[in-house]
Amino acid sequence: MLANYLIGLREGLEASLVIGILVAYIVRTGRRDLLSAVWTGVGVAVGISLAVGTALTLGPRGLSFTAQETIGGVLSIAAVGLITWMIFWMGKTARYLKRHLEDGLEKAIAMGRGAIIAMALVAVGREGLETALFLWAGIQAAGSTTAPLTGAVLGLATAVALGYLIYRGAVRINLRIFFQWTGVFLIIVAAGVLAYGIHDLQEAGVLPGLNTLAFDVSDTITPCSVAATLLKGIFNFSPASSVLEVFAWVSYLVPTMWLFTRMAFGGAPKPAARPAPQQAPLTTTAP
Amino acid sequence: MNSLHGRAASRALIPAALSVLAAIALSACTANSTDDTTTIAVSITDDACTLSETTAPAGDTVFAVTNSGTKVAEFYVYASDGTKIVAEIENVGPGLTRDLAVPLDAGTYVTSCDPGMDGGDIRADFVATATP
Repeated sequence: MLANYLIGLREGLEASLVIGILVAYIVRTGRRDLLSAVWTGVGVAVGISLAVGTALTLGPRGLSFTAQETIGGVLSIAAVGLITWMIFWMGKTARYLKRHLEDGLEKAIAMGRGAIIAMALVAVGREGLETALFLWAGIQAAGSTTAPLTGAVLGLATAVALGYLIYRGAVRINLRIFFQWTGVFLIIVAAGVLAYGIHDLQEAGVLPGLNTLAFDVSDTITPCSVAATLLKGIFNFSPASSVLEVFAWVSYLVPTMWLFTRMAFGGAPKPAARPAPQQAPLTTTAP
Repeated sequence: MNSLHGRAASRALIPAALSVLAAIALSACTANSTDDTTTIAVSITDDACTLSETTAPAGDTVFAVTNSGTKVAEFYVYASDGTKIVAEIENVGPGLTRDLAVPLDAGTYVTSCDPGMDGGDIRADFVATATP
């Protein structure tokens, strides 16, 4: 049961943390009206994953390996784009807060419902199909043993609980620190998602170099261990990584982190860069 | 931020995201068990890997991978060079059976069970024979 529990935890953890941060962001910027967009995206992703997983398990057609890996890779890269966008909202907000406190925050972080739906959709949908197929295997085994299904469901529930805890923590800390450090955290998450996407595309044969490893520490960090599960679940750390994965990870992380820290931790924007903010009502304080 | 542009950009994102998800539903599928498919039972334990057959007629093949061990396992079908992945199923937890459906051309393949996902895998040759 523990092994299946760890799979469930790993598959759900990253999506849960991203959603937790997204919800905290929306709540703290006083845009609770956008929460429905988050749940729409999550609901559609879960619905599609379960429907497709069910069709592939019970229907006459299965998904070919190359197709599943290519979809996984493409969705991962889409997720990186969307998370990066979210990170720079945060950097922008942190910078703005330094100068104007929370006054007029809403204008600085104007964002559309569509962007929020897309982000929730991709964050959850990325691992959704594999999770649905995994759950179906648990359901089919339930005739002889319910332990795998129980483990998987408890693992997913733990992931959701951890996302909730991140949210609870994030609504308590200082707003500017929230934007700065969740941004830094999300950059590391996004770099891992990118490396994972590259790995999927290498497995599918779309990109070369699957067996050209940069490092292999699977002897030290055994893939079945709790440490490996958490590292994989949060940062997509793979104990055996190809050169191309490491290259993509570094190429994304270094410039993005540089730009973000300059924006979020650096000086306030020049007054000329933006017109004087209109006096917005103070609806932006934390609940 | 120019909110008009922001909104236009986010409107463009929904169709983009939906079309990627639609690709999941529509992309290259392969047959699950039907009359024309061959099902090979693969049994994995923590230190062994047994296939019910090591040859099969070329065409749609389903490897029903059962993990009777205690570690999470993966199962791979490699090309004859032993490095190019033809198909793979991961997250085969203890007690689970997961199907890997793969269309096989006639030729030689290498199957691999990896209990523990640590690369210490158990390999064997597998032959898909040409059908008349």
